[in-house]
Amino acid sequence: MKHAKLLPLALTALMATSLAGCGGDSGGGEGSLSGASYVVGAKDFSEQDILANMTAMLLEKNGADAEAKRITGSVNTRTALESGDLDMYWEYTGTAWITYLKETKPIGDPEEQFDAVKKADAEKNDIAWLDHAEFNNTYALAVRSEYADEKGLATLSDLAALAASDPGEATICVESEFAARDDGLSGLLDAYGMDVPDDQVKTLDTGVIYTETDKGDTCNFGEVFATDGRIANLDLTVLEDDKKFFPVYQGAPTMKQATLDEHPEIADILAPLTAKLDTETMQKLNAEVDVDGLDAEDVAQKWLEDEGLL
Amino acid sequence: MSLDALDTAYEVRPAERWSRRALLNHLMTPALLVGVVLGLYGWVQAQDLDSIETRVLNRPAIIDATLQHLQLTAIASVLVILIAIPLGILLTRRGMQWLTPFALGLANIGQAAPALGVLVILAMLFSVGERIAIAALVVSAVLPVLRNTIVGIQQVDRNLVEAARGMGLTPGQVLRKIEIPLAVPVMLAGLRTTIIICVGVATVATFINAGGLGDIIVAGIKTVRTPILVTGAVLTAVIAFSLDWLAGMLENFLRPHGL
Repeated sequence: MKHAKLLPLALTALMATSLAGCGGDSGGGEGSLSGASYVVGAKDFSEQDILANMTAMLLEKNGADAEAKRITGSVNTRTALESGDLDMYWEYTGTAWITYLKETKPIGDPEEQFDAVKKADAEKNDIAWLDHAEFNNTYALAVRSEYADEKGLATLSDLAALAASDPGEATICVESEFAARDDGLSGLLDAYGMDVPDDQVKTLDTGVIYTETDKGDTCNFGEVFATDGRIANLDLTVLEDDKKFFPVYQGAPTMKQATLDEHPEIADILAPLTAKLDTETMQKLNAEVDVDGLDAEDVAQKWLEDEGLL
Repeated sequence: MSLDALDTAYEVRPAERWSRRALLNHLMTPALLVGVVLGLYGWVQAQDLDSIETRVLNRPAIIDATLQHLQLTAIASVLVILIAIPLGILLTRRGMQWLTPFALGLANIGQAAPALGVLVILAMLFSVGERIAIAALVVSAVLPVLRNTIVGIQQVDRNLVEAARGMGLTPGQVLRKIEIPLAVPVMLAGLRTTIIICVGVATVATFINAGGLGDIIVAGIKTVRTPILVTGAVLTAVIAFSLDWLAGMLENFLRPHGL
């Protein structure tokens, strides 16, 4: 999923930039990866920082010299991987499908979507995808909980009913990307048979959408990401995608095929981590960084220790 | 020498100002810009657009975004003129000069602060929309006009001012008849800079629901669709050049004769 998360608070922003310089401890140790060195990329939002740090720590545990490095924007991160500035990073199936493989129609079934991405990326670009985690950082529409209770909203079909009965209430905050994509607003409105006038669709930056959706002045509904920690923190209700319109954005480590061929055991080293990451876990970890203001590296390390992976 | 003699500063001799060569020079820019827009249109038409590109690159949406962009820039530029020129004049008056460093310092901060940060902080504090975007534009772009108004008036030959005072002109008359006319070229140079900053910064208005060409540019960046990105970027550049050309014409028109 590609977007720059603009954290509104200067404090958080400062914290985030300080992360950019964080790496793992230098010097490889004992293990099958001894002598290898890896730069693990992260796009510029907390979930990616956490994933990159976890990955780097596990590689270090196995003797490699690894560090996490923050890059701005999905496209730049992907370009950095292709040019060799990065050795690996976590990508999402939906993002790769739409953005790099230039497809416009997502595949409904998560496993089929993953297989299609893996196959196409290997053939076209020589990029290898390891197994994907369970978490799904998909798009969703959220609404402040008190409003959802008042209007009895639980699913996107409920929103469609509201838009039909009381058109003025269906005000939606989105990013310009969401407005452009096939798996975004226009597809959503078609799938649910909704008709929302243009002046009720507001274009905002990601970080601002959460706060505005919480306030409810600019819009009642906001486009959010399912694993974002701010959903729970701001007490937003995510409307269930009952017609299964949104594609799946499962995360998986990606790297050049050559990197994997050199040390195929990377797949086995990362498999236990991948197996444990579901949507709720990701939400909890993201909230620790985005809401509680902890350092992504510390959050990653503590969780790995608690789970017995370090 | 009567006061009327001073008025010749405003007399325009068309032959000198609009010689054939100057006229050709002035018409070159719009002709080029029209060519660029037509070229862009042809290039986009020739592309094989996918559904994402078709969705963003439709004529009403592009025209809408362009007009919004112009509107943001125009309102912000007018506000900057209304704020910065009187303030600049005030700061050059006797007894006020000690305030100049503070005012320029504030304006400097406005220009140095990242526009996107100013925009989002204002949005967090107040709300979102066009007004906040314009406020952020003014904060980002007020410095050139303010600085050039002050510099423009300060660089007027002191001997001239003294002579005018000696002839019995009131300070107000000196300002109107000597200082401002002679400072106009410098002030307008500042205005041109301000307009260009506004056009650039207005691209981030998209982040707070204020529209503009940023909608198109950001959609192009995020979806990695070159035709979308190029369209937004080229149109932004065309707007910047067009407004700069207009300001240049204005400068030509207002410049006192003989400078």
